[in-house]
Amino acid sequence: MAETTPIATTDSLAPDAAETAVQRRRMHPALLGALVGALVAVSLTALFRGQYLDATVTEAQHRDLIVHSMALADMVGRVEAADRSVSATTLDALIRDWQGEFPELSNIRVLRLSGAQLLASTNPDDAADKALPRRLTRDEKQIFDLAKSLSAAVDTNRDEGVSRKRQILLDSISDDTLAISLPYFLTDGGKVAGMVQLQKRLEPAAMPAGLISGMATLVAIGLLAFAACAVLGPRNRADGRPWLLTGVVALLFSLVFLFYARALIGTGAELSSSLTEELAGAYQAVRESAASIGGRYELSVGSERVNRWDVDAYQRPYNVIDADGRILPASAELAAARAQPFVRALWGNWVVGLGLLAFVGLGFGRQLLETIKEHRHAYLYVSPAIIGMLILVFFPFFYGIALSFTEQTIFTINEPITEVWAGLSNYISILGDFKVASQTAQGWVFNYSNFYWTLFITVCWTVFNVSIGLSVGMALALTLNTKGLRFRSVYRVLLILPWAIPNYITALTWKGMFHPQFGVINQGIQMFGGSPVAWFDGVFSSFITGLATNGWLSFPFMMVVVLGALQSIPDDMYEAATVEGASRWQQFRYITLPSLKPTVIPAVIISVVWTFNMFNVIYLVSGGAPAGANEILITEAYKIAFEKYQIGYSASYSVVIFMILLIYGVFQTKVTKATEANI
Amino acid sequence: MKHAVTPGFIAAVGLFLLTPSLASAELIVWHAYRGGEKAAFEKVIEMYNAQQADASTMAKPLAVPYDAYADKITAAIPRGKGPDVYIFAQDRLGGWVEAGQTVESVDFFVDDELLDSLLPGMIDAMTYRDTIYGIPLNYKSITMIYNPEVVEDPPATVRDLITVAKQNTNVASGNFGLAYEYSNYFFHAALMNAFGGQVFAPGPEPVIDSDENISSIKEMLRWYKTEGVLPDDPSAALIASLFNSGKAPIVFSGPWFLGEIEEDVPYSLAPLPTVEAAGGAPMRPWLTIEGVYISPQSQDIDQAYEFARFLVSEEAASVLALEGGQLPTNQAVYAQSEVANNETLAAFRAQLENAVPMPNYAEMTLMWSPVTTAMNKIVKGSASPEAALAEAQKKVEKDIDVLRTSR
Repeated sequence: MAETTPIATTDSLAPDAAETAVQRRRMHPALLGALVGALVAVSLTALFRGQYLDATVTEAQHRDLIVHSMALADMVGRVEAADRSVSATTLDALIRDWQGEFPELSNIRVLRLSGAQLLASTNPDDAADKALPRRLTRDEKQIFDLAKSLSAAVDTNRDEGVSRKRQILLDSISDDTLAISLPYFLTDGGKVAGMVQLQKRLEPAAMPAGLISGMATLVAIGLLAFAACAVLGPRNRADGRPWLLTGVVALLFSLVFLFYARALIGTGAELSSSLTEELAGAYQAVRESAASIGGRYELSVGSERVNRWDVDAYQRPYNVIDADGRILPASAELAAARAQPFVRALWGNWVVGLGLLAFVGLGFGRQLLETIKEHRHAYLYVSPAIIGMLILVFFPFFYGIALSFTEQTIFTINEPITEVWAGLSNYISILGDFKVASQTAQGWVFNYSNFYWTLFITVCWTVFNVSIGLSVGMALALTLNTKGLRFRSVYRVLLILPWAIPNYITALTWKGMFHPQFGVINQGIQMFGGSPVAWFDGVFSSFITGLATNGWLSFPFMMVVVLGALQSIPDDMYEAATVEGASRWQQFRYITLPSLKPTVIPAVIISVVWTFNMFNVIYLVSGGAPAGANEILITEAYKIAFEKYQIGYSASYSVVIFMILLIYGVFQTKVTKATEANI
Repeated sequence: MKHAVTPGFIAAVGLFLLTPSLASAELIVWHAYRGGEKAAFEKVIEMYNAQQADASTMAKPLAVPYDAYADKITAAIPRGKGPDVYIFAQDRLGGWVEAGQTVESVDFFVDDELLDSLLPGMIDAMTYRDTIYGIPLNYKSITMIYNPEVVEDPPATVRDLITVAKQNTNVASGNFGLAYEYSNYFFHAALMNAFGGQVFAPGPEPVIDSDENISSIKEMLRWYKTEGVLPDDPSAALIASLFNSGKAPIVFSGPWFLGEIEEDVPYSLAPLPTVEAAGGAPMRPWLTIEGVYISPQSQDIDQAYEFARFLVSEEAASVLALEGGQLPTNQAVYAQSEVANNETLAAFRAQLENAVPMPNYAEMTLMWSPVTTAMNKIVKGSASPEAALAEAQKKVEKDIDVLRTSR
């Protein structure tokens, strides 16, 4: 097999070329591009259209069930508020009446939180073993937990003055059955007293067909593109990029797509308005039923002047259907707001289609295909590595980048990231905040949590640390490289020790040494008559503590690298230099330094990246003291994620750090040509 | 060749299929105990297993290193990879409830019998938004630890404390009459609670810059600056070394400190003093209460609850107290003569009369960093208590607003 492969490759080249020539005669790339672009754009649009219409219908179904359930919960609350000792019997009759009025409803259940009492139920299983009312059994714990969670949601939203926890839970338990759980209250604005659950059988919704308009769009784009190719094609067949033709085809594509998009948005609006009308009718029916059934139990419902039953999952009124069933103008605004994501998706699809059209139309598509064909064995061989990298490296990496565009926090950690999408707002608030310092009565005050302050500290931190590490490391390496040095291996082991000790132990040791009263450094200063320094009180002195610790930690690495490089410099170069009469300094300047360059530059690049993100030393020694002034970017990102719980914001911080390091790495490599040796 | 492989292969497949069913009959219990606490805890688990006569469900402990423990719980349990039961202090509870899928509500199971068997106030620490999520197992708080060779009578009031402390203070030789982590808000909370202060009002709304909090900090500053009985920059390591070298005869710390006292150094325990400046109210430290939590992904939540219930029974509590040196939440165990005669256990039990559970709000985590910054500024004199706390309050409010957004 292995032997025949190259032959097969060379053989297949000739027919390929012939085939390509035939294809070029048959179909112009611009036409192919238009077809590919249109196919992708229209299929994507059909997909999003389906989702949008589904969501519209689902929301209407939810609202319909919520209206039915809110009215019932209202009545249940009133029955419970009147007399709790006899309410179970009344409730049993009430829910049976309600179910009789609306036969599509079933399995109505009323649970009182206090004592976990199942008061009434039309679910035959609930009353099978024991008569109602009764306490829930252990197997029914999750019903109680659900009611508790609704109660907690109501309390949370009320206390915090926001709507972030769902107060009504809807659940599709099968294709045609929707279940709802919602709280009931004894008084308006009171505590949650219990929960009402019910199920509804759904009618299959009539969806407007979309296949024909999609097909028509495809055909229209194809025909127009074909016509354009026929007219302009002969003049654009020369090698290179057929700009004009592709431009014209793109224009035609855009026009047809625009018509298609407008038609779809119109369909959606029509559907939405007919559903709202249906809902208004349902609301009227519920209101009348509530008045008549409520009357039987002396409950004054159904005569409200505002519509309190048409609410969303957070029990916020929609305010689009009036109490007398009239549809308010706000209804159109609501429909437009709901259509927004779909409209955005349409724009996106247009861009994707146009991109593909240009890619194929301008001939890049064929190029790509030919490259892949030519190197197909190479791609085959690296594919396991590519797949591994995709899963282990690129997925987390891109997930992190995606997170950086959200406002995800611990409270929204279980929401899909599309629900918490925030666009560029994190980046704008990080990079757009220039209030580094402000003038107050006490003089200039720095805002230590500002990004640019932290960046400044991080850059200072990196530059000083790498300089110290490099100079100390090189000095020690040159010393150790001295010919005939005795106990060289002993020194070498001793000097590598700081590197061998886990760096958090070193960091904590240094922290102790900088203690103002008992630390060895202040003790030493006092021994020589100086006055102790409060190391962590000042921005500069606190910076020094980190610098000292990290200098201690980083010189062994540089020393080892330089020592290795020194030993690889051939002796005869120095001998020749000596013969030529070069001084020691000249030897160092013109032989040693240039020979060290190829080894030291990559080490410096790595060292910069390490130091830039040296979390342990900052976190453990100064902890950013005083008042977060000495925080570096990575410790700041950690604090944002794990102390402030702003995960999305922290992800953007990390992406910014990554971009800085990326730009630095590319720049550094370019400028120094790190990988080229001087010999 | 083929035939020889087949039986082995079938056995392997059989074993593979059997393993999950064996595992499901186990209750995996995560904890972070070490040393004596671990031995006592494992003994209690053996006691539980011995009671399962038909060997239906065996509990199996797994010690997790403490520094990775919280993150492991947060990462593993929502994805169904974690234990059935785990033990942790109440401070993370709010965050876990808010994040969801991490801790099962046990409110439905909890009955009056259990509540009556517990020390008062313990269940509050396990309650979040009116729902009980765990069973309190044991508690820790700080108290006064003193060297009886230097201090004969433990001071009962702050006035006495300062008097005694001044007698034992000599800054030149590095002697301080009193040592505790006064700039750490967890330790300062004892004084804050004496003044009736708090960090979060119900809601939870931050009230960090309240007048009570400011007064409490001024009292602390009086001890440190005016009376000069406290060392600079107090870290846990420093306080232990001061106490061990006889340079600080009184410290405020918790049971974890006792392990750091060297063998030849005598110590005694007494409740924290009352504060004249707060109208004679006692210092009331924050309690950390470890709870037994159940994973919502557990296969047998019922059995897990029964196991948790056993952990807080009197017989289990007795082992945990006497052999593990822990302070169980079981009320009856303190009446046992062996426990009552144990000076350490009795002293911490006495301190409990004046202690409050640390809040378990998710928002507590947001408080630590700004408040620590404020305390450092105050202690170093670079900001007044009013200004520093107001700044912390503003920061916490801002961070909370970011979290609380309407959907």
